[in-house]
Amino acid sequence: MNNIYLKQAIRGIKSNPSRTLLTTLGIMIGIGTVILVLSAGEGFKSYINAQVEAFGSNSIIVETSVPASTKARQGGASDSGTANSSATNAVPITTLKIRDVEDMKNIPNVKNAYGASIGQQVVTYKGVSKTTFIFGASAARFDIDKGVIASGRGYDIGEDKSLAQVAVLGSRIATDLFGDSNPLGQLIRVGNYNFEVIGVYESKGSFGPMSEDDEVFIPITTLQKKIQGIDYLIYSVVELADNSKANATKLDIIDTLRRNHYITDPTRDDFKVNTQEESLSVFNTILQAITFLLIAIASISLIVGGVGVMNIMYVVVTERIGEIGLKKALGARGKDILYEFLIEAVLLTIIGGVIGIIGGSFLAFVVSKVAQGAGLAWKFIVPIWGVVLSVSVSMVIGIVFGVFPARNAARLDPIVALNRE
Amino acid sequence: MLIELKNIVKNYVNGDVVTRVLRDVDLSVDEGEFVAIMGPSGSGKSTLMHTIGFLDRPTSGTYLFDGENTQSFTDDELARIRNKRIGFVFQSFNLLPRTSVLDNVMLPLLYSGDKSGYESRAKKALESVGLGERIHFMSNQISGGQKQRVAIARALVCDPKVIFADEPTGNLDSKSGATVMHILEELNKEGRTIILVTHDKQVALHANRIVTIRDGKIVEDRLVPNSERVHSKEIKEEEE
Repeated sequence: MNNIYLKQAIRGIKSNPSRTLLTTLGIMIGIGTVILVLSAGEGFKSYINAQVEAFGSNSIIVETSVPASTKARQGGASDSGTANSSATNAVPITTLKIRDVEDMKNIPNVKNAYGASIGQQVVTYKGVSKTTFIFGASAARFDIDKGVIASGRGYDIGEDKSLAQVAVLGSRIATDLFGDSNPLGQLIRVGNYNFEVIGVYESKGSFGPMSEDDEVFIPITTLQKKIQGIDYLIYSVVELADNSKANATKLDIIDTLRRNHYITDPTRDDFKVNTQEESLSVFNTILQAITFLLIAIASISLIVGGVGVMNIMYVVVTERIGEIGLKKALGARGKDILYEFLIEAVLLTIIGGVIGIIGGSFLAFVVSKVAQGAGLAWKFIVPIWGVVLSVSVSMVIGIVFGVFPARNAARLDPIVALNRE
Repeated sequence: MLIELKNIVKNYVNGDVVTRVLRDVDLSVDEGEFVAIMGPSGSGKSTLMHTIGFLDRPTSGTYLFDGENTQSFTDDELARIRNKRIGFVFQSFNLLPRTSVLDNVMLPLLYSGDKSGYESRAKKALESVGLGERIHFMSNQISGGQKQRVAIARALVCDPKVIFADEPTGNLDSKSGATVMHILEELNKEGRTIILVTHDKQVALHANRIVTIRDGKIVEDRLVPNSERVHSKEIKEEEE
């Protein structure tokens, strides 16, 4: 194929640049949206990855969970007598204990582990009160969690065992209670007890009203015994030496917990064990669903854009009837004319696509800057496959919506076309 | 015989109305002839030219081109004949706008399927019509006479056997018209067949044979005696 088709197509597009831009607006918006959605999705993924890794990289999360057998039985009226019969989702599972965490530490490939519980309390300092989450965790959390203590220190195992009333504050709650003054060494009131502030976290950043920046971190034993009056945990984080063996270690953890909880029937498991990949896969599934939905919406714009291109191509064919006739008189075959107009349509949609890619990337960049401004670990990524996909989709739209006008042009009788001039 | 028409009929159908434009036309043109087709407007002379030039198919009749019956030719085969063996010159020049003189002349070559030599062949064609100096001008930056010479160069570039000229001087002043006619005469002397459509007797007298058509029928077909023939000289136009 010689480049005459391309040359003639470019000549056609150049003949009316402003119309070209307007024609491709729909494609621009559609492709721009696709790129924005894909890029924002990647950015969100990077943020979620950072959040999950904040639990500690190479970690497995063990949560309490209502057994499947209990859930299945719920709503069945008369099944009294068994231990779980009165259980509902609202009743907490109380079987995960510190002892389980200690036992999990002995599993091969487990490097470290901590147990945690959360309660809501009013926290007061000098008349300023805030209702917030009190996060109780073993001292090991300071080794596993990626959070950085900006000033002061974390508590140690001794303080945890001895029910010490010490607290590490999230960055925002520290500011809320203390303003600009130094919280270290000050006493805050949590429930009925005074706690000494021994450390303040760096901001982790997050959306919305609730984040770790608002939480107060105290030793798990202190939370259980002094504030909540319980002896169980809500979840535990297990750090692995080698993440590639995560699935084997997960099975070991399940064995250990079943043994500790006297469970033989897997449907009665009162816990759930998720590797890092499994935790991420939930987010990824949601993200995929959102991405799919938004791209479905964007494709409406692409179809509308394609129809716009088709429309203008019909106009262009009518405008250039004389020229088509001339070319046919000079020996152009129907095929030649078809390719010229088809390539012009594809060029139109590719121009729209490229502008859309640039525009969408720019918007995604703005979004990433806003997110980073809010303190989120949000990366600006434009996936290459998204760019390739966008250009290909643009081309396909050009071909699909260009082929009918181009065929009209190709089929014109040379003499009819010449006489129209 | 290069061109042989037998019982050519061309009807235009518009709804229920059938317009009979060509009625049983017989015409033979030998290689090297310079034929003028004359007739008033509406006589069918343009339709006849379009039919001979493969721009239009006859409703019925036989057309032998270079001994081949063209009736069964596909559209692509006809396009090939138009490209390689026929050159067209139109009254209104029909150059591509926003395109250089050189690119205009190259256009038929690009559709010819030949792989190379476009530019040198186009330049040669332009030199032969005296426009070797203007190849990079845009088609709208030159005078009407120059435009028609570009069109002739375009018609020549594929080295065709026949050149069809449809009122080639119709949109030109007398000087430019004379130059164009002079070029056509020169091409005829080189051995090319020229078929000229005109309603202007003076223009027609450049030919060695005049075919007169009226109401779709050839009413006169005569050779022009040398004493009657008109010869134009190239008139150098003053540079703008």
